[in-house]
Amino acid sequence: MISIKGLKHYYTDADGKEVKALDGIDLDIKKGEFVAIIGANGSGKSTLARHLNALLLPTEGTCTVGGLDTVEEANMWDIRQQVGMVFQNPDNQIVAAIVEEDVAFGPENIGVPSEEIRPRVEKALAAVGMTDYAKHAPHLLSGGQKQRVAIAGLMALEPDCIVLDEPTAMLDPQGRKEIVATVKSLNKDKGITIVYITHYMTEALAADRVVVMEKGHIRFMGTPKEVFSRVDELEKLGLEAPLAAKVASELRKSGIKLPKDIITDEELAQALCQ
Amino acid sequence: MSINLTNVFYTYMTGTPFERQALNDVSVSIEKGEILAIIGHTGSGKSTLVQHLNGLLKPSSGKVTIDDIDISGRGGEAKKARQQVGMVFQYPEHQIFAETVYEDISFGPRNRGFSAEEVDKQVHEAMAFVGLDFDTFAKRSPFQLSGGQMRRVAIAGVVAMNPDYLVLDEPSAGLDPRSRNAVFKEILALHKERGIAIVLVTHSMEEAAKYANRMLVINKGKILFDGKPAEIFSQHKDELVAVGMDEPQVYKLSALLRSKGLDIAEGIADSAELVKNIKKAKGWR
Repeated sequence: MISIKGLKHYYTDADGKEVKALDGIDLDIKKGEFVAIIGANGSGKSTLARHLNALLLPTEGTCTVGGLDTVEEANMWDIRQQVGMVFQNPDNQIVAAIVEEDVAFGPENIGVPSEEIRPRVEKALAAVGMTDYAKHAPHLLSGGQKQRVAIAGLMALEPDCIVLDEPTAMLDPQGRKEIVATVKSLNKDKGITIVYITHYMTEALAADRVVVMEKGHIRFMGTPKEVFSRVDELEKLGLEAPLAAKVASELRKSGIKLPKDIITDEELAQALCQ
Repeated sequence: MSINLTNVFYTYMTGTPFERQALNDVSVSIEKGEILAIIGHTGSGKSTLVQHLNGLLKPSSGKVTIDDIDISGRGGEAKKARQQVGMVFQYPEHQIFAETVYEDISFGPRNRGFSAEEVDKQVHEAMAFVGLDFDTFAKRSPFQLSGGQMRRVAIAGVVAMNPDYLVLDEPSAGLDPRSRNAVFKEILALHKERGIAIVLVTHSMEEAAKYANRMLVINKGKILFDGKPAEIFSQHKDELVAVGMDEPQVYKLSALLRSKGLDIAEGIADSAELVKNIKKAKGWR
């Protein structure tokens, strides 16, 4: 679905200094995969995400989406239709005064015939569980609901892939649960490829693969189990393993024998209480 | 020394179809010296509540006093009282505007009418507090700093005004775990060394459990619970979930281990404490 090879993204800051935001990234994302990207502030996560739908272009190397190279200007609209983006702030992503109009904005914009728009909007709202709110005013919704409307707006464009850049950073616990559940269901039930950037390690547990970034490089990647059992390495990168992994690692350090790959509460409870 | 809200009501857009009661008879006293966490779902009224603490919003009815002075007045005394409350809003880095870090941080104290020497002293102290080296950062443009550094500049700008009360709305939103810990270390130091009362609005149950000694749970414009975080989290779990809140992760894990027969104490707020408890429960040294 997405293939990134030797990708570098350099820019010059206001002091005239060259900043290497991405410095040689190789990453292949398969169709239907759920990939989480974690890394400290400034590690290059968002810069990488913005290459996936040609918001940013490589200084060196290539990024192809469904076989289309993002540097070819002629490919841009196809790529942006295939890969949708959700950002942190729900209030900055809503354009209309009624939920269903907001969701219809995308398809209208790309010239979807009007008789096709309504079914698309209905399907998109159903996919994020917001059908009951079709006639509501978006600004009166909760943060989690607004983010789901933003996701519905993308779904109406029938994308293959959705990239979410810290979609829960501004949400309360209920809103965070809603977004994680919505993203999981889009991935499992609709086969949408998901790229999910987050600072919450518990959210990354839902992914098939976790990519760990630092200073414009991918440091390591693997299944949540492989990545989150490397507690000390994560801490060195300014990150935090999920609580159960952290506790298990501390116990192991004081000489207690526990399996190396404990990352969930249940796994820890089982290891301790068998 | 305290901020007192007495029977405060607040209605948004009175007399329009969008009229909404955001605060409904809130009475609370915030004492100097405490760290108070305020939690509640989006739209619960917590941001409306904190905007009353320094007069950004005036109650539709009811009274707000800071150190016994009614802050609704126009006089110099009321203004002085309002200035005792420093506010750091969500994403404070978006409120940075000056060309250098020094100018940005000195804006507040200059506005408060501090003398030039006093301003300089406050800027130095505030930068030291938030861990920004003066010689490295004072002359730099704040817009070239990292997200975490910009947030520290913004917090330093409020600290430099030397407030008695500091209100922080989601100070860790969008920060990575290391920067989150760094920001809280600074906040705790401010509280300890200057005795500043901290009001922390947060969506993170972990932060409320770990840092606050008192917690307010706001729902539908009312105070649902007011007490020690440990007590509220352990005694009112179901009610919290019902209003869109949650238990901290460490409470969930502790409860699971208890249910499997391990003797883990109630109210453990961090992982190190939990590790100790597990070892004790298992008879490990």
